[in-house]
Amino acid sequence: MSTWRFVWGLVTYRPLLYLTSVILFTGVYVLPVVPGLLTQAFFDRLTNSAQAGLEPWSIIALLVAVALGRFAVIAAGFATSATGREYFSALLRRNLLERILELPGAAALPEPPGEVLNRLRDDVLQAEETTDFLLDVVGQTTFAVVAVRMLMAIDARMTLLVFLPLAAVLVVTRTVGNRILQNRRRSREATARVTGLIAEMFGAVQAVQVAGAEARVIGHFRRLSDERREAMVADRLLTQVLESVALNASSVGTGLILLLGARTMAAGQFTVGDFVLFVYYLGYVADFTHFTGRWLAMYRQTGVAKERLLALLQGAPPGRLLRRSVIRLRGPVEVPPEPEPPAAGPLQELRVEGLTCRHADSGRGIEGVSLTVPRGSFTVIAGRVGSGKTTLLRAIMGLLPVQSGTLYWNGEPVVDPAAFMVPPRCAATPQVPLLFSGTLEENIRMGFDASAAEVAAAVHDAVLERDLAAMEEGLQTRVGTRGLRLSGGQIQRTAAARMFLRRPELMVMDDLSSALDVETEQALWERLFGKGDVTCLVVSHREAALRRADQIILLKDGRVVDCGRLDELLERSEEMRALYHAGAVQ
Amino acid sequence: MSIPVRRYLQLLHRYLRPEWAQVTWLALLLVISIALQLLNPQVLRRFLDLAAGEVSGGPSLTALARLFIALALGAEVVNVLARYLSESVSWRATNALRADLAEHCLRLDLGFHKGRTPGEMVERIDGDVMALSQFFSQLFIGVLANLALMAGILVLVFRENWRAGLAMTAFALFTLWLLGKIRTISLPHLTRQRQAAAEFYGFLGEVLSGTEAIRVSGARSHMLRRHLAMVQDFYRHNLKATMMFGLMWGSSIVTFALGTAISLGVGAWLHARGAATAGTVYLLFHYTQLIRRPIEQIRVHLQELQRAGAAVERVEELFALRTSVPDGPGRPLPAGALSVELAGVSFAYEPGAPALKDVDLCLRPGEILGLLGRTGSGKSTLARLLLRFYDPDEGVVRLGGVDIREAKVAAVRSRVGFVTQDVQLFAGTVRDNITFFDPNVTDERLRQVLNQLGLGPWLESLPQGLDTPLESGGGGLSAGEAQLLALARVFLADPGLVILDEASSRLDPATEALVERAVDRLLEGRTGIIIAHRLATVERADTILILEDGEVVERGARAGLAADPASRFARLLRTGVEEVLV
Repeated sequence: MSTWRFVWGLVTYRPLLYLTSVILFTGVYVLPVVPGLLTQAFFDRLTNSAQAGLEPWSIIALLVAVALGRFAVIAAGFATSATGREYFSALLRRNLLERILELPGAAALPEPPGEVLNRLRDDVLQAEETTDFLLDVVGQTTFAVVAVRMLMAIDARMTLLVFLPLAAVLVVTRTVGNRILQNRRRSREATARVTGLIAEMFGAVQAVQVAGAEARVIGHFRRLSDERREAMVADRLLTQVLESVALNASSVGTGLILLLGARTMAAGQFTVGDFVLFVYYLGYVADFTHFTGRWLAMYRQTGVAKERLLALLQGAPPGRLLRRSVIRLRGPVEVPPEPEPPAAGPLQELRVEGLTCRHADSGRGIEGVSLTVPRGSFTVIAGRVGSGKTTLLRAIMGLLPVQSGTLYWNGEPVVDPAAFMVPPRCAATPQVPLLFSGTLEENIRMGFDASAAEVAAAVHDAVLERDLAAMEEGLQTRVGTRGLRLSGGQIQRTAAARMFLRRPELMVMDDLSSALDVETEQALWERLFGKGDVTCLVVSHREAALRRADQIILLKDGRVVDCGRLDELLERSEEMRALYHAGAVQ
Repeated sequence: MSIPVRRYLQLLHRYLRPEWAQVTWLALLLVISIALQLLNPQVLRRFLDLAAGEVSGGPSLTALARLFIALALGAEVVNVLARYLSESVSWRATNALRADLAEHCLRLDLGFHKGRTPGEMVERIDGDVMALSQFFSQLFIGVLANLALMAGILVLVFRENWRAGLAMTAFALFTLWLLGKIRTISLPHLTRQRQAAAEFYGFLGEVLSGTEAIRVSGARSHMLRRHLAMVQDFYRHNLKATMMFGLMWGSSIVTFALGTAISLGVGAWLHARGAATAGTVYLLFHYTQLIRRPIEQIRVHLQELQRAGAAVERVEELFALRTSVPDGPGRPLPAGALSVELAGVSFAYEPGAPALKDVDLCLRPGEILGLLGRTGSGKSTLARLLLRFYDPDEGVVRLGGVDIREAKVAAVRSRVGFVTQDVQLFAGTVRDNITFFDPNVTDERLRQVLNQLGLGPWLESLPQGLDTPLESGGGGLSAGEAQLLALARVFLADPGLVILDEASSRLDPATEALVERAVDRLLEGRTGIIIAHRLATVERADTILILEDGEVVERGARAGLAADPASRFARLLRTGVEEVLV
C-alpha cells in the first residue's frame, strides 16, 4: 500500500465530512485575499495613485468585518476537522485491535506490548495529523493560486522572480526527503526503546524494588534516553532548517521586489499600493510553502508509521488496515457479534494427532503430540519444567500457530482451532491469568450475558464466595490495574469463575490450583467433580488431580513418552515415578 | 493569567542550570536575530520614501534593496543556529527530568503502583515530559524572544510618533490580555483531555497484554465494544480541546484586523496633517504586521505552555507523592543471618479491614519458619512488612534487632531476599533480567549461579546464551523457569533473610526437587521464612506459624505440633493425607 493510498483511504472514510472540512478550510485560507486588496486600495489613495474608490475609513471597517467572518468559518472548520481526526484514528485502532484479537492469543503481538502500544498511539497520531493537515494544504494552495494570478496581472516578471525562492524551498525539501526518512526512523526506534523500558520497569516494579535495583534500572534508562536525544536532535535539526528557510524566504522575496521595483517605481508603473499587495500576499504564500514543506516531511514520516502499523497485521492483507468498519462517535457503539464458531455436535471425543508447535525464537515446543480426550473424562498433562505442557494446551486451543498436526472433534477435522475452540465449546484458565481494570463482575463476565444467579454460581464453583463476602463492595469491587488489588489466589479463582460462567463443554486449566492453599484447592476440585458431566484437560502435578485422572499424558522434551492411569504409569515409567515421588505430599 | 510561572521557573532553574553555557549562547543569538528583524523595516521606509521622492540623498535604491536582502539572510542563519541550540538544551534538560521522575515513581510504594497501568506510566513520564520539552524549547525561541521583539517594535514606533506608540502599545497589551483570558478558559479542558488520553492508552495497553485471556474467554467483541465506548469519551474531550484552539486562532485574527485598522487609521490621520510620509505610514503598517508574528507565536507557544502547564501540574503531582515508607536515619543492619522480630504488629490496607492483628513473632538468626494459612489470611502481607513495602499501623518489625523504620529502605531490601509466586520478568536479556543492569556481576558468576540452580542445560539451549532476549511478562519461559530465574536473583543478592512466598507452588515435581536442593543451599547460614500451601515445602521448617484472618492461631516447633494430634498443624497434615486419598 502506498502512503498516498493510505492517506486517501482515511480521507474517503467519511467523504462528506471531509469535503465539508475542505470547503471550510479553503474559506479560512482564501479569505485573506480580500484584506490584501483593501490595503492596496488604502495606500494607493494615500499616495494619490488612485483618485476614486473607497474612503480610508470604509476600508478600515471592511478589514475588521472580513476578520469576523473568518473567525466564524474557523469555528465551523475546527469542529468538522476534529470529528474527522477522531474517525481516522478510531478506524485504524479498531481495525488493528480487531486483527490482533483474532490472531493466536499467545502470539498476537510481533513486538512487546509496550512497543505495540507505542505504535497504536504515536503512529496512528502521525497518520491522523497528516490526513488532517492536508486540509490546510488544500486551502493554502487555493489561496496561492488565486494570489499568484492576481499578482501576475500586475507584473508577471516580478511575480515569477519573487516566488522563485519559495519554489526552491520546495525542491530542497523533496531532495532531503530520504534523509528525513532515515532520521525519523532512527529517532522513532530510539523513542520506542525508551517508552518500552518505562512500560517494562513499571510492569515489573515489585521485582525492581525487591532487588533494590531502582538506581541501576534508571541508569539504563538514562543511557537509552541519551541515545534518543542524539537521534531526536538530528531528526529535528533537519526539519527545522527547512522550516526556518521557508519562513525567511518571504523576507528575501521582499528584498527581490525592492531590487526589481527600484526602476519601475521611480517611473510610476509600480505603485506603493502594488508593493504592499505583493508583500502582503508573499507573506501568505510563504506560509503556504512553509506549511507544504512541513506537510511533505510529515507525509514521508507517515510512510514509516504506515509500515509499522501494517506489520501489526501479521499476514492479513494490507487493506485490512483501512477496512470500512463502523465507527460511531455518538450514540450506541456497533461491533460485530462474537463470530459463531463453526457448527459441530456436542463433544463426544476430542482427538489430537501429530501436533507440532515450536517457538520461533527458542525452537523449543512440542513435537508430534497425539492424544484423545473422551467426553466426561479428566485428562492430566504432566511433565517437567519446559517439557511443553503449556505449549500443548495453547496449541490445542489455537493460541499458538502450529507447524503440523490436526485436531479432530468427534472424528471431524477442525480447520481453524482458533475459531473453533471458543466458548461455549471450550474455555480456559491460563497459567498466569490476567484481569482488567474494572469491577470483579466485569472481569468475570467480560461481556458474557448471564443472570446474577449464574454469576453467583460461577463464583461458587470457583470458591470465591468467601472472599467476596469479605469485600465491602462484593462483585462491584474494583480490582485495580491487572487485578493487582487482589491476591494471587483471588486473581486465579476470578479467572476460573470467568471460565465456569461460560459453561464450556471442554474446560482447559493450566495449573489452576497453583496459587491456592490446600483447603481452597480441595473445595475447588470437589465442586468441579461434583458437577458430573464435565470434560477437563488440565496441567497439574497435584496429588488430587493425578489420582483422579482418567489418563495422564506424560510429556518429556516436547514429546509424549507415556499415557495411562497413575498406578499404571507409576508401575512402568521412571519419569512418572521421579515426578510423583518428588511431588508426593508425604 | 494562571500560568504557574513560579513553578515553571523552579523547574527551569533545576534542569537548565547544568546547561548554562549553551543557554547563554542561545540568548546571544536570539538578541542578534531580533536586532536584524527590527532594522530591516527602517531600510524599507527609506527605500519607499526615496522611490516616492519624499526624501533624497544617501544610498541608492539598489544599494538599499541589497542591504535589505543581506540582513534577511543573516537573520536566517542566526535563527537556524538558535533552533539547534534550543533543541539540544531542551532534550538534555527533559531527559534529566524524565529520569528523575521515573526514579521517583519507581521508588514509590506499591499502593501507588497498584492503581496504575504501565501504559499510563508511559503517558505520565514520557507523554507529559514531552509536553514539557516543548516548554523548554518554546519558552526561549517562542515566548521570551518574541516578547523582546515586541518590546523592540514598540520602542521604535514611539520614536516615530508618541500617539502611534501609545495606540500600538494599548493594542499589544489588550491582545496579550485577551489571549491570557482565553488561556484561562481553555486550560481545564486541556487538562481533562490529557487525563482522558492517559485512561484511553492505559486501556489499550491492558488489551495488548491480555490477548490470551481475551481469546480464551471469547471476549473479543466485548473488548472492541469497550474500546469504541472509550473512543466516544475521548472524542468529547478532544473536540472541546480543539474548539479551544479554534477560539484562540480566531480571536487572534480578529484582534489583528483591529491592529491593522488602528495603524492605518493613525497613519492616515498623521499623513493628512503632514506629520508622516507615505514611507512612515507603511513603516507603522509593517510594524503592525511584524508584531503579528511575535504575538501569534506567543499565542502558539502559550498553547504549548498551556499543555506544558497541564503537564507541569501532573509532573509535580507525581513528584509531590511521598512514599508511605520513608527512609530512616540509616541504622545499619548486622551482617550474616538476621534475627526477625514482630512485636504486636497490626496492619490494614484499608481502614476497617485489618490484614494483620497483633502478630508476635521471634526468629533466631538461621532459624527457619514455615508460615501457613488460607489465601488472604495475611501471609503475603507479613512478607511485605518485612520488606518494608508497608509499615505496620501498630507494633514494630525488627531485623537483626534494628527497627526497620530506622534503617534505609534500600538497606533492608538488600538484606532480605523475596521470591514471589508471580515472577516479574521484563523485555530484556536474560542477564539484565537477573542482574537488573548491574555491571559488577560477571558472566562467570552468573553462569555459576545458574548452574547451581540446575539451569545450566537450559542456559546452553538458549540461542544467544545470556544475551538471549526475554519477552515481557516472561512469555516463552515456563513458569518454572521464571521461578528459577527469580531464585537466581536472590542468590546473587546474598541476603540475610530469605522469604519464599509459595515459591515452589507452580513447579512440576522434578524441577521442584531441583529447586528444593537449591533452596537448601540458599537457606544455609540464613534465616528463612517459607510461605507455602503445600505441606511438603514446610518440611524443612524448624518452627510453624499458622495465620487465620490476620491472627496467629498456632505457633510452635514443627516436630512438637506434628506430634500433637489436637494441633491445627496436625489436622492440616491429615487433610493433606486425605487429599492423597481423594
